[in-house]
Amino acid sequence: MADPTAFYEPTEDELLSSLAVPVQSYNPESDADEYRRLQELEQHAYAQQQLMVAEQEQEQLQALEQVPEDVKRFLVLFHQAILENDLPTITNMYESGWNKLTQAHYSQNEWPEAELISPLVGNDQVFLTLYRELYFRHVYAKLQPTIDDRFQSYENIYSDGPVPLDLPIQWLWDMLDEFVYQFSNFSTWRANPKNKNEEELEALAEAQNIWSSYSVLNVLYSLVQKSQINEQLRAEKQGKTPEEVQELAGEYGSKPLYRNLGYFSLICLLRVHVLLGDPTLALQTMENVDLSGGAFLTRITACHVTTYYHVGCAYMALGRWPDAIKTFISVLIFFIRMKQYHTRSYQYGSITKQCERMYALLAICTTLSPGPSDESIMSIVKEHYADQLSVLQRGGDEALETFKDLFLSASPKYLNVNPPPYEDPSALESYLANPPIDATQRHLDLFLSDVVAVRGVSNIRNLLKLYTSIDASKLVTFSEGETEEEEILQQLMVLKAASRTYAKGQQQDTLLDGERIVTNNLDFTIDGSMVHVEETTSHRRYAGFFIRNAEHAQRVFNTIKSSPLPIQRKPTTSVTQTTTDNKNEPKKSGAWQPKRARVAAQ
Amino acid sequence: MAVAVPKKNLSEWHSPSTRPEVIHELIHGVDRYNPTNLPFMEEYLLSQIKEGQYDLFANLAVLKLYQFNPQHSNPDIIIHILIKALSSTVHGPDFNLSLGLLREPTAILHDIESDDEALTILMPYLTNLHELIRTCQFTKFWKEFNGESEAANILKTRYLPSHSTPIDDLRFQFSLSIASCFSTISLNQLSRWLNLSSSEVGGYVEKIGWNVEGDKAVVPKNGDNDVKAGVVKENVQLSQLTKLVAAAGY
Repeated sequence: MADPTAFYEPTEDELLSSLAVPVQSYNPESDADEYRRLQELEQHAYAQQQLMVAEQEQEQLQALEQVPEDVKRFLVLFHQAILENDLPTITNMYESGWNKLTQAHYSQNEWPEAELISPLVGNDQVFLTLYRELYFRHVYAKLQPTIDDRFQSYENIYSDGPVPLDLPIQWLWDMLDEFVYQFSNFSTWRANPKNKNEEELEALAEAQNIWSSYSVLNVLYSLVQKSQINEQLRAEKQGKTPEEVQELAGEYGSKPLYRNLGYFSLICLLRVHVLLGDPTLALQTMENVDLSGGAFLTRITACHVTTYYHVGCAYMALGRWPDAIKTFISVLIFFIRMKQYHTRSYQYGSITKQCERMYALLAICTTLSPGPSDESIMSIVKEHYADQLSVLQRGGDEALETFKDLFLSASPKYLNVNPPPYEDPSALESYLANPPIDATQRHLDLFLSDVVAVRGVSNIRNLLKLYTSIDASKLVTFSEGETEEEEILQQLMVLKAASRTYAKGQQQDTLLDGERIVTNNLDFTIDGSMVHVEETTSHRRYAGFFIRNAEHAQRVFNTIKSSPLPIQRKPTTSVTQTTTDNKNEPKKSGAWQPKRARVAAQ
Repeated sequence: MAVAVPKKNLSEWHSPSTRPEVIHELIHGVDRYNPTNLPFMEEYLLSQIKEGQYDLFANLAVLKLYQFNPQHSNPDIIIHILIKALSSTVHGPDFNLSLGLLREPTAILHDIESDDEALTILMPYLTNLHELIRTCQFTKFWKEFNGESEAANILKTRYLPSHSTPIDDLRFQFSLSIASCFSTISLNQLSRWLNLSSSEVGGYVEKIGWNVEGDKAVVPKNGDNDVKAGVVKENVQLSQLTKLVAAAGY
């Protein structure tokens, strides 16, 4: 095998510049300082690393001996594929090779460290950066990470600057997905000062800026800006030619690597904003991203499911239940259809889990905003949550408890923006003695206040169903407890508002746009104190069924027409006879001749 | 005063026509995270208050900056934002969206080392008012609002005077809810819900485009208060049939 270093050996200068390019200087001066400091730290750490490598070289070479032969071979070939920018090979090695070797050798322990394998790849830092990214992802997926792992993974991704190559979109998505996952994981871990030993507390006090929300947003926004992705998407929407878009994109954005990173960063921003409790900003971030069936994001299942899940959650926070329902249903239908074709990658489990959460959220949304929705999906919801649904519909305190359980099990894991004051031991003590309400609890309370506001609605709706007109004073006698007419009228106003909402209309609207719509069949007008009830009935829908089945029949017909005729079963007579038969037959009779005729000819 | 009709779409909500271009650029770009813009954003809020305009998204951007830079939090501005959200919608998510970006008042005050109690007193009070509004308990709302509690006093003496027409804003929002429900309503009930004396209510009703007939107010039809039973028929678009039509061509 050729020496890998022959392809590309970076000089020392090139290396440092590739690691230390600032992500983007859009921030206030204070942050610019912060950057410089971080960069210096990084370079410093790098220099130290180099020293250590020299000292431990001997040791490492011995350790390298321990690495299985097929892993070594894999790494060398992988490195070569990346140097040659051979996308199909990279994709294949990334999607299957890595997983196979992980199963064979590293299901219980970590892959060899990057420093260890660096001689194999000629110390190519670009490759080692990518390798570290895979290394840490494996650590998170399979093993319990230590605090060192967490800090290092941050520095690792942070230096993930201008890499001059093209990578499979699956890998790019996995990289950013992991970035957000690690951020949320680390924030949750850091948010709770309990059960941490001295060493960990000390490290956290020193490393204030590691995984801070600012720095995470910083990385994502800079990828967005560098790639000019918003400008590109807007231009595409306006119908500009690919050349015009290329020109707009600039030197970074015109390369697929950066364009895709920018695109996925928008989706990660959506997630981070939802996690930090800002649904309007989350939806605003997505204003240029197309969410329809054939959109780019649907090419990667994990990305598709995550995007729709978070968009749906943002709509829930805005009280736009029909939009949330529509969003969840559309991705669930997609997931059910593709389930059988999906490769069982390590993400399959988490995708399935996210889908299960959406069924729970659907149970919530359809209770709060009843109305017709896709029957096949709703039957699954009813199957999974039959007990909960009946409790929810009954109302009362028990229902509130069920809303709470469903929300906690299915909502995103909200994050606190600000970590506890680790740097100040006395403040930390008072923090521990009197911990503030955590983010998930805060968002749960807000959600429950939405639920409580409409708690009387379903009862009064069911009552109204029985009448075409009824006096408000009579409704008073039906309602439980002592109520006055005024209260009934107030409840009717709440019912009215609960059956109206804003929903996204046409395709070209952004996610935040909405038209006022009526969500329930039952409606009413109050004339003085007389309530006139009107119910809109809808005809059964047939067309969809017929269209679907006619198309299906057409497909079946086309398949039959284009498939070859069944091959004739081998005659049971002697071998010599068959061979002569086979030679002569095609001349005598076409392949289309019915089997019976051929049998007769023999 | 405008006619009380619910808004048909949300474009005024997410991008009000009164919003200057600079603000629009700011809250749509990364500059929204720059704390040096805070004075400018706060200035914009104060002008909204004075002019009786409302820009939720700009106000949320202010709260976001406080979230990221707790040492810059300004309790007065927070209260103004909450009052704005409260008086601008009955059923909208605005108030809860603002709360979603805030922590408990004590934590906020702790970070700026302030001992001004106003925020601690007003936040629960405003939250309670919001619950009353969104459940349409307007009579109860006015009772709390006009009450003699400490919170009510602080609100009325310290904060409301800088707002242009807070009480009219509230009345107007309540009328929207009433208009979507009632075709006629007794003036007596209205005066309780809008906190107007029986002599004032007639004049107010006409200002918002309703008519007085005897002891009743007649609300013009607005699509919500004149519902008719309908039948939703199936509607097939040609685009749904493209595959079938194409197949028929062979």
